[in-house]
Amino acid sequence: MKRKSWLSYVLALSLMMSLLAACSGNTANEPQSSNTPQTSDTPSEQSAEPPVTLTVGIFDRGIQGQPDLNNNTWTRYINENFGKANNAIVKFVSIPRSQEVDKLNVLMAADEAPDVSFTYDGATVSRYAKIDGIMELDDLLEEHGQQLKAYLGETVLAYGVYNGKQMAIPAKRTALAWNGLFIRKDWLDKLGLPAPTNQEELYNTLVAFRDQNPGGVDGVIPWGVAATGMNYTFGNLAESFWEEQTEEEFVTIPGWLRPGNKDYLRFLNKLYNEKLISPDFALDKTAQQADADVTNGKVGFFGANWDYALRQHISEPLKANVPEAEFLPIDTFKNYEGKYKKVAYNENGINVIIPKSSKNAELAIKYLNWMADPEVLFFLQFGEEGINHEMVDGIPQAVNQTGDNMQTSYLNLDYTLVVNGVELGDEEKNVKALAISAPGLEGLAELSYKINTTDTYTHYFYETPNEASIKFGKTLGDLNKQMTDRLIVAKPAEFDSLYDQLVAEYMEAGGQAVMEENIKLYQAQEQSKS
Amino acid sequence: MKAVPETSVVRTKRKRKLFSSIRRDVLLYVLLLVPLTYIAIFRYGPIYGVLMAFQDYNIFQGISGSEWVGLDVFQFIFEQKSFYRALKNTLVLNTLDLVVGFPAPILLAILLNELWHTRFKKLAQSVLYLPHFLSWVIIGGMVYLIFSTGGIANSLVTSLGLNEIEFLSRKNNWIVLYVLVGVWQNVGWGTIIYLAALVGINKELYEAAAIDGCTRIRKIWHITLPGIKPTIIILLILQIGRMVSIGFDRPYVLGNSLVSEYSDVISTYVYRIGIGAGDFSQATAVGLFQSVVGLIFLLTANYITKKVGEQGIW
Repeated sequence: MKRKSWLSYVLALSLMMSLLAACSGNTANEPQSSNTPQTSDTPSEQSAEPPVTLTVGIFDRGIQGQPDLNNNTWTRYINENFGKANNAIVKFVSIPRSQEVDKLNVLMAADEAPDVSFTYDGATVSRYAKIDGIMELDDLLEEHGQQLKAYLGETVLAYGVYNGKQMAIPAKRTALAWNGLFIRKDWLDKLGLPAPTNQEELYNTLVAFRDQNPGGVDGVIPWGVAATGMNYTFGNLAESFWEEQTEEEFVTIPGWLRPGNKDYLRFLNKLYNEKLISPDFALDKTAQQADADVTNGKVGFFGANWDYALRQHISEPLKANVPEAEFLPIDTFKNYEGKYKKVAYNENGINVIIPKSSKNAELAIKYLNWMADPEVLFFLQFGEEGINHEMVDGIPQAVNQTGDNMQTSYLNLDYTLVVNGVELGDEEKNVKALAISAPGLEGLAELSYKINTTDTYTHYFYETPNEASIKFGKTLGDLNKQMTDRLIVAKPAEFDSLYDQLVAEYMEAGGQAVMEENIKLYQAQEQSKS
Repeated sequence: MKAVPETSVVRTKRKRKLFSSIRRDVLLYVLLLVPLTYIAIFRYGPIYGVLMAFQDYNIFQGISGSEWVGLDVFQFIFEQKSFYRALKNTLVLNTLDLVVGFPAPILLAILLNELWHTRFKKLAQSVLYLPHFLSWVIIGGMVYLIFSTGGIANSLVTSLGLNEIEFLSRKNNWIVLYVLVGVWQNVGWGTIIYLAALVGINKELYEAAAIDGCTRIRKIWHITLPGIKPTIIILLILQIGRMVSIGFDRPYVLGNSLVSEYSDVISTYVYRIGIGAGDFSQATAVGLFQSVVGLIFLLTANYITKKVGEQGIW
C-alpha cells in the first residue's frame, strides 16, 4: 500500500515535469535543430572552431517530385564551395510561396527570421525599415560586398534604398517580361481559326472553344483561371480597357478609379456568366486546380508569367497527357491607341533583407557576394555540362531534370537571390539563352519574350516610402483580390452597383489615403528631378 | 451550514482542518497542480501582452520599448468598416451555430439513449465521434471536393435535371453549408456529456412511467429532458459566453474571396492584420475587445439563468 502511494507521487510529478518541459521545449529545441548539419558533407575538419550556421530562406513552391529543399545538388554545391571556405553551414529555411509575407512576419516576430530573408513586396521592406527591424547595409556592402556591388550596379541597388539608406539588396532582373498569354495552337488549327488579335476576336474564339470543344475533352475550360493573386492572371486585359490618362494620374491613382476599368471587369463578368472561364476559379486558392486543368489539356487559353507554359511542371505533364497540345504565346488585348500596352518589370527582383537579430550579417553579405561570381551563378543556373545542360553554339541549354537535380524555380531563381533571369554576362547571350531555355520549345520562348517586352510600361518607383501604404497596403491587397473575384462572379444585373459599392469601400479602407500620399510623393519627386 | 461566531478557536480549528484535509488528499492536490500550472502559464502568462493594445507596438523593441498611445488603436479600429463586418459575421455565424448546432447533440443523445441494442449503440457512437478528430483542413478539402461545381453533390443535382447549385460561391448557400458542416463535425462529440447525464437518471422513474402507461415520447418529455436540464443550461451559458469568439480554422478553410462578405470573422480579421500586415497592436486590441464582450455575454447569461430559478455556473 505504502509503495503504491509512493509510485503515484512519482507519476504525478513526472506528469508535471513533462508539462513544464513541453512549454520550455520551444526555446530549448531551437538551437539544437539549427546546429544539426543537414547536408551530407560536414565542413572541413582542420578548422578548430565549430562551423557557423547561416540560415537562408527558400521558397517552397510545392512542386510535384521536388527534392529536399535543404539537401540537393544545389545546396550541396553551396555548402561545398561557400560553406567550407567560410567554415559555415548554409541551412535553408523553407517558406511557402503563397505565404511569402505572412511567414516572414511570423519569423520576424519570433526572432527566427533567416539571416538571409527576402520578399518581393517593397511595402514590407519599408515597414521593416521604418520599425528598425532590418540592418542598414551600406557599410557591410562596402566592406564585404565589392563584387556584389559591381555586379548589381547603381541602378539596381537604388531600388533597395529607403530614406537614403541601403536597407535591402534587390536582385538584378535580366528578363524584364512579366505576364504572357498562351493559346492552344492545335485547337485553333483544328477549328481553322486565326490567333485572336483583340478582345472581340478572343471572345469569339473562346465561344468556339466552348461550343465545339476541339480537344474533345470532358469539361472544356476555354480560359483557365485561378483565384486572383496566384500565378494565373488576366494578362494585360485591364490595360486594353483603360482610357487615356495623364502620367501623374496613371501613376498615383488606383486601378479601380481608372476610366475603363469597370468595362474590363464587366468583360470578365460576361465571360464568367457565359461559362468561358474556370467555373470554380475563386476557390482555387493555390492554383493547383488550374495547373491540373492546363496539364490535362482542358484549357484553351490562359494568362500567367511570360514563361509559364514553358515551365517544366506545365510543359512536361502536358506533353505526356496530350502529346499534340501546343501553347502559342499571343498578344491579343489591344487598347484604344491600337497598342498592346502591358506592364514589365523594373530592373530589380526580390529584395534581400537581413534582420536586425541576425548574428551573421557579415557572413550573409559574403554569401551574396560569393554568389555574384559568374562561375558560381553559372553553376547554380545551369549546373554541370552533360547533366543539367548541353552547350549549343556556346550557349547553355538546360536539360530538364527530376529528383536531386531538379530546379524548383526558373533557373533556380529561388537559390540565386542576386539574380532573376539568365545571367551569362552579356545581354546578347542572355537573350539567346532565354530562347533556348525551354528544351523543345525554343521558338516559343523567344516569341513570348519578344511579345511581352513590347509596348511595356513599368511601375513607378517612389524613392520615399508611402506611410499610408505601409499601414493599409496588406488590407488593400487582400481587398483587391476579393473585389476582383466577387465582381467577376456577380450577377450581371448587380454588377454596376456592386462595382461602385466595392470601390467606395476600397477608398474608405485606405485607398484614399494611399492615393493622396502618392500624389504628394510623386509631385515632390518629380520636382526634385527637374 | 450554521453561522458560527468567528472566535479564534474556530479559526484555528478551521486551519487545522484545512491542513489535515490537504494531508489526507495530498495526491489529489498534486494532480490539481498540473492543470493549475497549465492555466497559469498559458492562460494567465500571456495576459501581459494585452498591453500591446495600448501601444504603438514594435516587435523589435518589445513591450518595454514601445511607445504608449492610449486608446488610439481602439479609436482606429472602431473607425474601420471591416471591423464591424467581422464582428457582425462572427455574431451571425455563432448565432446560427447556437440555434442549429446546440440542440443537435441533445437530440442525438436522446436518440442514442433510446437504442436498446448495445453493440449497435456503441458502434453508432464511435462513428459519430469520428469527424471531431478530423482537422478542418481535411474537412475543407472534402467539402471542396464534394460541393464544388464539378463535385459529387452537383453531379447528383444535375442528374436530377436541375441546374447546378453554387454551394461554395454564393453567400447564402455558403452559410447553410458552413453551419451544417459544423454540426456534422461536432454533433457526435457533443453527445458525450449528455449521455453521461442520461446515465444518472433514476431508472425507477422510467419503470413507474411505464406502469402508468406513458408512451416513449411522454417519457422523453417528462423524465429524460428534465433529467438533463441542468447540463443543458450550463452548456448553453458556456456557449453564449463564446458568442464573440470564433475558431479560426473553420471560417478560414471554408471561406473564399467570393463569400468574404460573410466569412470574414474576428479571428480571420485578427490573423490578417496581425500576421498578415504585422500590426500587432491592432490585432491585440481586437482580441481584447472580443474577450471583454465575451465576458459580458457570459455574465448576462448566467445572471438571467439564476433569475429564472436555475443553477448558474457559479
